[in-house]
Amino acid sequence: MEDVYVLGIGMTPFGKHPGRSAADLGAEAVNLALSDAGVSRAEIGAAWVGHVYQGMAMGQRALYAAGLSGIPIANVENACSSGSTAIWDASLALRAGAYDVVLALGVEHMTTMFRGALAPDPTDIEAQLGLTMPGIYAMRAQRYMAQYGVEPKDIAQIAVKNKRNAAMNPLSHFKKPVTLDEVMQGRLIADPLRLHECAPISDGAAAVVMVSKAKLNHFGGGRAIKLAASALRSGRTEVGLVDMTVEDLTWRTAKAAYEDSGVGPGDINFAEVHDCFSIAEALRVEGMGLVPHGEYVARVKKGEMDINGTLPVNASGGLLGKGHPLGATGVAQVVELVRQLRGDAGERQIENAKVGVAHCRGGKAQGVEGTACTVNILVA
Amino acid sequence: MVSLDEAEGPVGIVDFTTQNGKVRLRASRCPSCGAALYPPREICPSDGTDSLEDILLSSSGTVYTFTVARQSTPEFKTPYVLVYVDFPEDVRVLLPFAGTEPPPIGAEVEIIMGAGPRLEDGMAVSTPHASLRL
Repeated sequence: MEDVYVLGIGMTPFGKHPGRSAADLGAEAVNLALSDAGVSRAEIGAAWVGHVYQGMAMGQRALYAAGLSGIPIANVENACSSGSTAIWDASLALRAGAYDVVLALGVEHMTTMFRGALAPDPTDIEAQLGLTMPGIYAMRAQRYMAQYGVEPKDIAQIAVKNKRNAAMNPLSHFKKPVTLDEVMQGRLIADPLRLHECAPISDGAAAVVMVSKAKLNHFGGGRAIKLAASALRSGRTEVGLVDMTVEDLTWRTAKAAYEDSGVGPGDINFAEVHDCFSIAEALRVEGMGLVPHGEYVARVKKGEMDINGTLPVNASGGLLGKGHPLGATGVAQVVELVRQLRGDAGERQIENAKVGVAHCRGGKAQGVEGTACTVNILVA
Repeated sequence: MVSLDEAEGPVGIVDFTTQNGKVRLRASRCPSCGAALYPPREICPSDGTDSLEDILLSSSGTVYTFTVARQSTPEFKTPYVLVYVDFPEDVRVLLPFAGTEPPPIGAEVEIIMGAGPRLEDGMAVSTPHASLRL
């Protein structure tokens, strides 16, 4: 399939933006991405905008604020994978030859709408019985601990690592590292998960300008990074009793991306992974086939997933540290991969970053493990 | 607690009935592939069969996993215990647990009527719960 490239990136600080609208945040990210790409507004052929709770035509509102109008704009809702699904849509349009330069934006303003735990859609039978997002991951953590003989403090190391990384990211929601003791003294949200092990409620936006291979040279694509694969899958309806520590959805999505790009799990040397909760990072890295099932937390403890480790995971700080404005998250992961592959990640730069993977998944509905999952592979 | 005589499903959220004093959750079975499906469905997700049979799940099962929810959405009174129960019909069902201490993984539980954790107009909603066998 025809290669596509990420030409420009832009991202607002993630965190609390009480005085600014989602449209303002989206416009800021778009402006940054356009100037980073060196592309004028008139050259953008179409745009896809991911968001979850922002209401009707959020994409148009953000792009109007950025001075873009008249072009095709499609709004994308795919739970926490909304932003990365916008990238998937944009990549398909480029590969189909429909456009040469397109925009993918993810945006969410949550701090004025939510406090505390998020839950599946209120019509879902499990949500009506009290299942929350931390609740489902806590129950998966209980199984993980029982099956693989690990303790809550082992899983909590993931939060320590990601918040340490976030402290080196100027756009992070959290800028202060935490110790393991601090994580373990945090209040319980859903046993065994404690406060620091749950992604915060954040506002923010991230955008990428993407270009076809045919037009890459036209834009002097020296800083462009190849998007070698963009895969999207949905959760399969579960029949029977499945192992809740094994992510079938993550594996099927990753496998599609591996097959599309020719990049295998052994070629990947760093990852941004959907760590909405500490345990989620373990389930995902194992689910993508990067580490055998049940081994992840031991490897985190040994430092293998640190920025200077053999497989750095969530150098950006991840969702736990950088923050999690739902629709923006999947785009922000790709922004981080581009920064790392360009060698522009400053203090948190991964040495020899060559092949990065961004894994983003979201949603929960009765009878499926998760609703949407994307895997994007970028190659320097 | 609600007496069993008063408890006829569907009450609130979970579709159930009582038989010989036992609480039985309603489910479906696909006559074509044999899969048991919870909650009751109209179409089999495995093979698309649209004439599913109504079945009742056993009145007991085993705990697959659990948590104590200490923070939730505003409709719920925290803390509360949730469990996934594996039924002999090869179906896994989320249920509130009757008790404040979570049961261990693998514990045998039976299904009884209980109140909460959901509140409506300040009153705990009556719904089937998992309970440790006496």
